[in-house]
Amino acid sequence: MRPTPGNNQGLASSLRGLAGFVLLMLAQFGVRPLFPGRVAVDFALIAVLFAAVRLKPGVAALTGFLVGLSVDALAPDSFGTSTLVLTLIAFGASWLKAVFFADHVGLTGLFVFVGKWVFDIATTLLMGAALGTSLAVTLLVWAPLSAALTAVVAVLLLVLFRPLYRPPGR
Amino acid sequence: MARNARGDSRLDTGLVLVCLVLGVIALVSPRRVREQVAAALRATVLMPLVQLEARASTVRAAVVSRNDVLQARGAAVVDTFSMRAVREENTTLRALLGLSARLQDGFVPAELLPQRPGDEFTITLTVGSDVGVETFSPVVTASGLVGMVANTDRHTSSAITWAHPDFRVSAMSVDQTAFGIVQPHLATGAERWLLEMRGVPFRAKLDTGTLVVSSGLGATYPRGIPVGVVIGELSTPEKWARTYLLRPVVLPEAIGPVLVLKPARVQQGVNGVWTSVAAADSAARAVAVAGDSIARKAAFDEFTARRAVLDSLRADSLARADTIGGGSATRPDSAKRVGPPPGGLR
Repeated sequence: MRPTPGNNQGLASSLRGLAGFVLLMLAQFGVRPLFPGRVAVDFALIAVLFAAVRLKPGVAALTGFLVGLSVDALAPDSFGTSTLVLTLIAFGASWLKAVFFADHVGLTGLFVFVGKWVFDIATTLLMGAALGTSLAVTLLVWAPLSAALTAVVAVLLLVLFRPLYRPPGR
Repeated sequence: MARNARGDSRLDTGLVLVCLVLGVIALVSPRRVREQVAAALRATVLMPLVQLEARASTVRAAVVSRNDVLQARGAAVVDTFSMRAVREENTTLRALLGLSARLQDGFVPAELLPQRPGDEFTITLTVGSDVGVETFSPVVTASGLVGMVANTDRHTSSAITWAHPDFRVSAMSVDQTAFGIVQPHLATGAERWLLEMRGVPFRAKLDTGTLVVSSGLGATYPRGIPVGVVIGELSTPEKWARTYLLRPVVLPEAIGPVLVLKPARVQQGVNGVWTSVAAADSAARAVAVAGDSIARKAAFDEFTARRAVLDSLRADSLARADTIGGGSATRPDSAKRVGPPPGGLR
């Protein structure tokens, strides 16, 4: 089977996507520890969401599972939480990519914001670490702030590094 | 085509289900198992990421520790300065305690209220008329004269310092050879914080380093409070008097806790209070006076002896005359004529 121009484009797009994914994962472990705090950028979630729009739902779910597993491996107390939640988010993002990834930066930001907020809500509830007022503050203050920051960073990445994070076929 | 799509869908569903099941197992498995799995992942496939995160954490810790080091250094510097300030304040208070002990009574200790910006020649004291502070009361420290109370309220009072343009004090050199009026040196720059002693008689020449104290003339400042030290002579158009430049004994930054002398204490005097000044001076005077007294005593004795010899000779000649002429013998009262030499005996 001879390589066609379409196959070459697809391969290049996949390699760019892979490079962007690797860079985001490196940022998750190399940059995020430099800025600790309640409001932090979740590069791993951005990587999963950006990868999910390129992949089929099953592969996206597997990607989310692996990324979640790597995140959980460095936080054994919540082992399994990120794995489960990122699997579901990646699977959902892959299904919804046609709706939200319409090459619109604002919609992409909203997509990342919702994804991060859902992720924080799910992990907080699954871990059961907060109750009462603390839970409310975590879910309604810190989680939206983290989601907003993550969305802003995702939009910036999409604008500044468009070749890496551009959705395929656009 | 549709079969492929259905196959893909089944594969996706299968993958999702497998991932979800594994995720749930990871979530609900015992803690020991979870830690073992996490440790195995960290030691193998996640090793590069673990090292990367560790390095980032190290960088972060270095930045934080750098901040801590800077903060600790700053705190140490602040502590050093505060310790120095405390030590200086302690020295000042000890000196003031010594002055209080020498004064014994007739004074009021006072603290200074913060100075208002632009009012650098006036100080506000924490004592007022309710403790006996009156206008014109001298304000002193262990080093010497600070100024004079200008206004009094019930609980506070304000005083002018020696740098105030209206400040004047009658002063003399510590050996009492020169008298004059000390007032601020109204120059510009750093020399504004010096004093000058005006109206010193032309014959009275003061050496550099001579201590100048209050003379006690006038009713405000008692005699013997150190005012300044001569640092040189100023050339003025006045040819009949000298003007000397003085360094104040109480420097502006050293004006801390002070004592306000009450009127009774002013009338009583402060002789011997600034012992380093008055004692040395009085001792020198005493030695000089003692030397003079001995010389005068010797001269007086010699004079008395000569007078006695002359009297006896005169008495003998009168007696002879009486014997010859038979007149009444009226002996002169030699004691009346014998008196102290001019100048008297101290």
